[in-house]
Amino acid sequence: MNKFTPLFVISIIIIFSAGSFLYFMYPIGGSAQQSNLATYNSTIEITLYANAAGWNYNTSNPNPTIYAKTHVLLEFRVIEQDTLPHTFTINPGPNESQASAIINVNIPPVPGTVVWANWSFSTPGIYTYWCIVHPETMVGKLILNSSGNNSTATAISSNQSLFSLKGSSNIYGAREDLY
Amino acid sequence: MSFSFQLAIFGSTLAVLFVMGFLLYFFAQDYRKKLLTGTQVSQSKTENNLMLSRMRREISLSAFILDDSKSIGIRYLITSLIFFFIGGLAGVGMRISLWFPNPTFLTPVQYNILLTEHGTLMLYGWASGSILGLGYYLLPSMLKIRRDSLGVINSMMFWFFLLGGLLIIFSKSSATWYFYYPLTDQLTETGGGMFSFATLIGILFILTSLTISSVIFLKMIFLDRDENMGLSRLPLFAWSIVSTAILIISSAPISMIADGMVIYDLINPVFFTGSNGTALGYAIMFWFWGHPIVYVAVLPAFGLIYELLPKYVGKPVYSYSSGVIGLLLLLVFSATVWGHHLFNSGLGTVWDILFSTTSFIVVIPSAITVFNWIATLWSGRIRLTVPMMFIINAIVDFIIGGVTGVMQSDVGINELIHGTYWVTAHFHFILLGMTTGMAFAAIYVLYPTLSGGKMYNINMARAHFILTAAGTYVMTIPWALGGFLGMPRRVAGYFGIFQSYQDAAAIGGIILGLGQLIFLINFTYSMYSPTIHSNENILEEASL
Repeated sequence: MNKFTPLFVISIIIIFSAGSFLYFMYPIGGSAQQSNLATYNSTIEITLYANAAGWNYNTSNPNPTIYAKTHVLLEFRVIEQDTLPHTFTINPGPNESQASAIINVNIPPVPGTVVWANWSFSTPGIYTYWCIVHPETMVGKLILNSSGNNSTATAISSNQSLFSLKGSSNIYGAREDLY
Repeated sequence: MSFSFQLAIFGSTLAVLFVMGFLLYFFAQDYRKKLLTGTQVSQSKTENNLMLSRMRREISLSAFILDDSKSIGIRYLITSLIFFFIGGLAGVGMRISLWFPNPTFLTPVQYNILLTEHGTLMLYGWASGSILGLGYYLLPSMLKIRRDSLGVINSMMFWFFLLGGLLIIFSKSSATWYFYYPLTDQLTETGGGMFSFATLIGILFILTSLTISSVIFLKMIFLDRDENMGLSRLPLFAWSIVSTAILIISSAPISMIADGMVIYDLINPVFFTGSNGTALGYAIMFWFWGHPIVYVAVLPAFGLIYELLPKYVGKPVYSYSSGVIGLLLLLVFSATVWGHHLFNSGLGTVWDILFSTTSFIVVIPSAITVFNWIATLWSGRIRLTVPMMFIINAIVDFIIGGVTGVMQSDVGINELIHGTYWVTAHFHFILLGMTTGMAFAAIYVLYPTLSGGKMYNINMARAHFILTAAGTYVMTIPWALGGFLGMPRRVAGYFGIFQSYQDAAAIGGIILGLGQLIFLINFTYSMYSPTIHSNENILEEASL
């Protein structure tokens, strides 16, 4: 028997078990972060499903209008639902225009892929979130109201069950939307 | 432009990986040739004696290159131990997260991933892998086999097994270990998991490996054994492997077909949707294999107890023939009871009564086996060594797990306790006490051979046993009590009234984990202690 064999086997066991445990813990999917992050007071997590027939097509009303406030970190959690390529694009103004897009994230065409886009807006107004590949069906409004620096985070939408407030006191903590 | 650039990077990466794989293969072959033609330090290194019954093989990394049966046994033992620790860490993580009714550090998705990995790795990686390892390691010397003839196929099946285990770990599936149809094909983070099809492919690899290894076991037992060893003198471990192998060969292909159908349904939903096939169809095809795998995990442990008990009691087994009859009856009956997993799924009253009856009948061969052990223990002089402690604990755990299991065969009681922690307590008693305990007992018995003449530290081994046994009871008895009151299993959170049961179970889980850490420390520490023992062991020299 080689002198280092037992140590080698044991270290393999430890590295593999700890490594796979960390791997199981690691969240799936990529993310898009704001490069020059504006100051924000609180955080809201917003889950959107990307489907060619409309955002959140699995619900009765697709393309929900999202109401939020400025200086709040919006964590868009975009989940691929069909096998088609999509983008998650936000541009200021009520119309789609690729030239002035603030956020433009590609969503890989693998169902279940999660893409994060964290953004804190400083200017109030009407924004449009849409998909460049499907501009006819996948387009919705994001309306940002101005807020004082001490405001608490709220998210009101036409379909509230799809949203969750971080830190809210439901039984499963912040990740209720995973059910 | 950019696309072709990406393609070039992808292609060159593939080419580099291919060249690296080829070089690795070349060096391995070179090293193997050097091992085989080098100085004849030990008998195991000469090509003609690759599977001699007198060969003693110790743990070394050259086991992954040589193709003799003992080396392949060592490969399986090492790999299944790695899978055991990965799955065990997942289990302890789940226990700790369930300390409070609201999950503490696991999100529900992470909990489901850990649940699936724990179940899949423990059953397919640890239970199946340790059985294959012990079979490959022990059968040649027990049956006095002279030459190994299918080493290449054995080696290939090991790599299939390893690839399957790696695919299971990679996939991070959250569809629980039985991969019921509609959930498995929902490739989302909140469904079955993004890559749960990869787990299905991994399970297909492992089942292929199990099936072909079973055929090879049957060939070893019935064709390759010594001519002077009649069927009536076969060791009982060999009989238990016969039962296991026939069970695997008769039921694993059904599950492989179902897995293939689920993978096809991912692209074109034909088989398990619509009017002619329902989700219940997959459940039936799965449990046709899913119940036998439980017996696959337990039967070789029965055989090990039959082999080890006489050594520590000083008497032969009370009744050889009733032992063989019990093992073969378990083979026959356990293939007919799978429906008791689907009592509440709508098979129909007539089928429920049929499977309830067959489940009660399984008690008969189990009782024959248990009373055979008790009769062997009855008048002998018991030497309380560490493996013997594991054996006695296995018998007690099997009795408790068996009684809690028989209660579930009753259709009425089953409706009450279905999907609660009662079921978890039942099979953890058997799988922890019997499968895991006997695998550790066998490792302790084989330790002088595996380490080349070293002896394990007895105090640490006793601590390992005590922590394992105590952890089993502290974890599973609160499960059984809480489960009878309706504590649901497979969930990341629970109602506050069950917190005391869950806390006790969490303490038990931590105790269990500490015990396995002590085993790991003992294993390494003793490998560097001075040689004080011959490299013989009582399991292998049995039939010489």
